[in-house]
Amino acid sequence: MSLAAQQRDFIRSLFGDAEPAVPGLAVYRSSVAANLATALEATYPVVRRLVGAPFFAEAARRFAFAEPSTSGDLADYGAGFASFLAAYAPAASLEYLADVARLEWACHESARAPSAPAFDFESLSGVTPAGYESLRFTLHPAVRLVASAHPIAAIHEANAPERDGTPARMRGADHVVVRRGEEGTVVEAVPAHEWRFLERLARGETLGEASRALPAEIAEPFLATALARYVACAIVCGFTSP
Amino acid sequence: MTVRALGGAGVGIGLRAPHHREILERRPALGLLEVHSENYFGEPAAQWLERVRGHYAVSLHGVGLSLGSADALDPEHLRKLDALARRIEPALVSEHLSWSSVDGRHANELLPMPLTMEAALHIASRIAEAQERLGRRLLVENVSAYFAFDAAPLAEWEFVAEVAKRSGCAVLLDVNNIWVNATNFGFDARRYLDAIDPSLVAEFHLGGFEARRSFLVDTHGARVAPPVWALYREAVERIGPRPTIVEWDAAIPPLDVLLDEARQASAVVAREEREALA
Repeated sequence: MSLAAQQRDFIRSLFGDAEPAVPGLAVYRSSVAANLATALEATYPVVRRLVGAPFFAEAARRFAFAEPSTSGDLADYGAGFASFLAAYAPAASLEYLADVARLEWACHESARAPSAPAFDFESLSGVTPAGYESLRFTLHPAVRLVASAHPIAAIHEANAPERDGTPARMRGADHVVVRRGEEGTVVEAVPAHEWRFLERLARGETLGEASRALPAEIAEPFLATALARYVACAIVCGFTSP
Repeated sequence: MTVRALGGAGVGIGLRAPHHREILERRPALGLLEVHSENYFGEPAAQWLERVRGHYAVSLHGVGLSLGSADALDPEHLRKLDALARRIEPALVSEHLSWSSVDGRHANELLPMPLTMEAALHIASRIAEAQERLGRRLLVENVSAYFAFDAAPLAEWEFVAEVAKRSGCAVLLDVNNIWVNATNFGFDARRYLDAIDPSLVAEFHLGGFEARRSFLVDTHGARVAPPVWALYREAVERIGPRPTIVEWDAAIPPLDVLLDEARQASAVVAREEREALA
């Protein structure tokens, strides 16, 4: 039997339906399942708290069969857990669960993202005010934008380890910006128009194009302070001019 | 504060997240700190490791390269490892004599190789490829196993020797893994030690196992067992002192417990060095 065939058989015994008959394979099967479950627990602590440890363990077990790990770095594992939960019948009554999972994955990615050089204000000073419209701003690699019809920021905040799990708001949509602050990951709900503005910047639209997401009456005062604010809290890290 | 190596060969510990803060606050005297390479592929973690590197020699110990897989090496994983090694300038870079993925599906576990010449040649060529890409000699570690493929014409030590000869890699000899496999598969651990060419061995590992029903399982969740200490003493006598790392990955105890294990390893090295001078 070729090496590839031997390895395929082995992998099948780890992830197949049947418990392997060989006791040694069972040792691997349980350690592999435990490693994957531990990685998922580390990335999704709020989901775990919302559903409870036994429910989470079963979801993690099924997810491991449904969606294989595809990286030698366990920190890459679990990207598809939100989609899995969205279609997971036992969790159907928790409508917000998949979106909370999306927020947790965004936090996980943000925490590991590369850093960025400081914003180059000197180059910006060379741009004439008339040229601002056509600038494209670069969001910091650690920024993630998550929107939900449910109050996911409130749920996330209420389920921090030191909190009792009662969200400040039980309904309403949340538009969330995830970024890396001095003390770690920051999860912030922002007004919907601001989120759409950032989302357009993230897609590579110019400042002029992205500004159309803003209500006309607030666009000017918003834009007057937005850049300084975004640079200060590492949401924007650079720009390109045409 | 200067850091004094415990023994000339450098004895250290596997550094894990629960001790991150304490290690920089206390800066215990250790010859070497070893980390799992993949844990520092992300950015703030890599910056933190740079700070550690300012105080200690660092060994990068990978668990995810899947050297023995029938798949091609993952170029992205190698790129990240290469970038980290360039930044950290580690004293040692090691991986495992194992595989963890096939057809792109990862088990994220160190799975045993079939002990065949085909498998030895295959993993040797992948090690050579990784060494070429990283521009340095890799140390490759023998792993614990709970399963042996049928028709294994090579003894594990013959497999290790063949891979090292073909690839030019060095051997990271995990003494606990030798003991675990000797028990699980019924061979003589001393015979393994005797068969290893001392000039190939560049590092030792120590760790704790757990005895389950039909196997010793390499959990890295306990103190080094007495027979493993005895085997380590023999290994140091026969092979010579080498950088030695004590690993602990499950139910991680207070840092002082790891430092105590490191002191014991250091005493073994120091005794050997004294006897070598006498």
